[in-house]
Amino acid sequence: MLKVNNIEVLYHEVILALKGVSLDVPSQGIVALLGANGAGKSTTLKAISGLLKHENGRVTEGSIEFLGERIDRSSAEEIARLGIIQVIEGRRVFPHLTIEQNLKVGGHLRKNGGDISAGLEMVYQYFPRLKDRRGVAAGFASGGEQQMLVIGRALMARPKLLLLDEPSMGLAPLLIKEIFEIVTQLNRQERIPILLVEQNAKLALSVAQYAYVLETGRVVMDGESAKLRENPDIRDFYLGLTDLGTRKSFRSIKHYKRRKRWVS
Amino acid sequence: MRLLLELVLSGIMVGSIYALVALGWTVIYKCSGVLNLAMGELTLIGAYVCLTYYQWGFPFPVALVATLITGFILGLVTERLFLRRMIGEPILSIIMITAGLSFFFRAVVGFVWGTDTVVFTPPVFPQEPLRFFGMVFGQVYLWSFAAAILLLLVFVWFFARSRWGLAMQATADDETAALSLGVSAKWVYALAWAIAFMAAGVGGTLLGNINGLNISVGYLGLLVLPAVVLGGLNSVPGAIVGGIAIGVLQNLSDVYIGPLTQGGVKEIAPFVFMIGVLLIRPYGLWGWVRIERV
Repeated sequence: MLKVNNIEVLYHEVILALKGVSLDVPSQGIVALLGANGAGKSTTLKAISGLLKHENGRVTEGSIEFLGERIDRSSAEEIARLGIIQVIEGRRVFPHLTIEQNLKVGGHLRKNGGDISAGLEMVYQYFPRLKDRRGVAAGFASGGEQQMLVIGRALMARPKLLLLDEPSMGLAPLLIKEIFEIVTQLNRQERIPILLVEQNAKLALSVAQYAYVLETGRVVMDGESAKLRENPDIRDFYLGLTDLGTRKSFRSIKHYKRRKRWVS
Repeated sequence: MRLLLELVLSGIMVGSIYALVALGWTVIYKCSGVLNLAMGELTLIGAYVCLTYYQWGFPFPVALVATLITGFILGLVTERLFLRRMIGEPILSIIMITAGLSFFFRAVVGFVWGTDTVVFTPPVFPQEPLRFFGMVFGQVYLWSFAAAILLLLVFVWFFARSRWGLAMQATADDETAALSLGVSAKWVYALAWAIAFMAAGVGGTLLGNINGLNISVGYLGLLVLPAVVLGGLNSVPGAIVGGIAIGVLQNLSDVYIGPLTQGGVKEIAPFVFMIGVLLIRPYGLWGWVRIERV
């Protein structure tokens, strides 16, 4: 459905953020994008959604195709119209609008009113908590509610592909669990394919069927989640487990050597 | 006491016109962070356009609606020609562009319509004043008040309810997030200019009906600055209340302080007031204080 072919991304014409990233998102299921801070996960999402152009970045090499159409030159608005909706990291609600108004802005691309109320109904069904709080200014909603709101807001845009950037950031474990349950439900019931960016590798590998690992702007590994979970490097660096499945001791220095092999 | 009441009421009526212009100012600031220094010239152009339609023989309400439509188109054109290419540039550069626009528009008005004072002939509103409880009001004030309030209500409804109004508010709040949902920022800016042109045009027309029309109506643009600052630069209700407050303040200072001086108090009072407000409430009455959760 979405094909990213060996893209290179430059910020401000000098900073090379991605150096050849390729990935495939099938028309159903969840694909995860893992990696440490600064690996280029968010940049990859922004390259796909076109928001990159607003941060003075651009795709200089390679191509991005969605449903057979090249989109790496299109504007963010056109890409959103095609059905790729990104949930930006950091719970970017419209703080001065109420929760319901936020959702209505999400439905901006739905032109008629009946459509919008049907959308609202659907979002409230998945996130009943938003319905109770719909009159509250979004800036005053709790962190969990804001995360639900930005996901719900994206749903209002009727995405054909949802790009989720770090939905777990800064939330309590119980809330994270709740949100991820809803996300998998959305994926199954509404048949929305999801490209998920997460720092929490364990969580991401548990919901995604396939995953890519990014390191300093390159894909260094990819595979089925089940396989990646068994991979010794992933276990070591991302899941914090040793081969025996016990907690890792940080005294061992060995992992530096293995890491070096990846980067080279 | 009756004088005071009369001053306050007529201040409110003139103030509602200021409110209209202030609203235009606020809309542009809210959406794009730009202080539009050409606001006064927008009122000027709108007023002359309406006058021209009126002289062509259109009935006044029709001329006013035609002015709204013309203003809408002029707004879109101005944004497209002068400001579109500035998206993403530093705010100060854009403000300089609006300063340039203000000179340009002023020159165009002088070129096309001349610099003599003109009046709407025949007079649009009946001349004989109305009396309530012994207070006297020109009908032109009452009608202007009604027209301004009607238009303000339409704009307030537009921002709170309509699809594009919400999109404009969303863009003001978080442009990137709005973009990610398919809101076209270009259209939002274009609409902001269109609305500013429309509001300013009607405001200018109404003032032109009260005092006659010449190039000095353009100074209104500067006069509404205190109104906008008082309300908080990015609050629509704030602009309305601010505009009305400035109207009342002008009237009161003119009558009560004016006789003690050589004159000119009316022009200065709003600015003195603005400085006072800024000292006490830098955000204005309803400006955005950053929402912070604790």
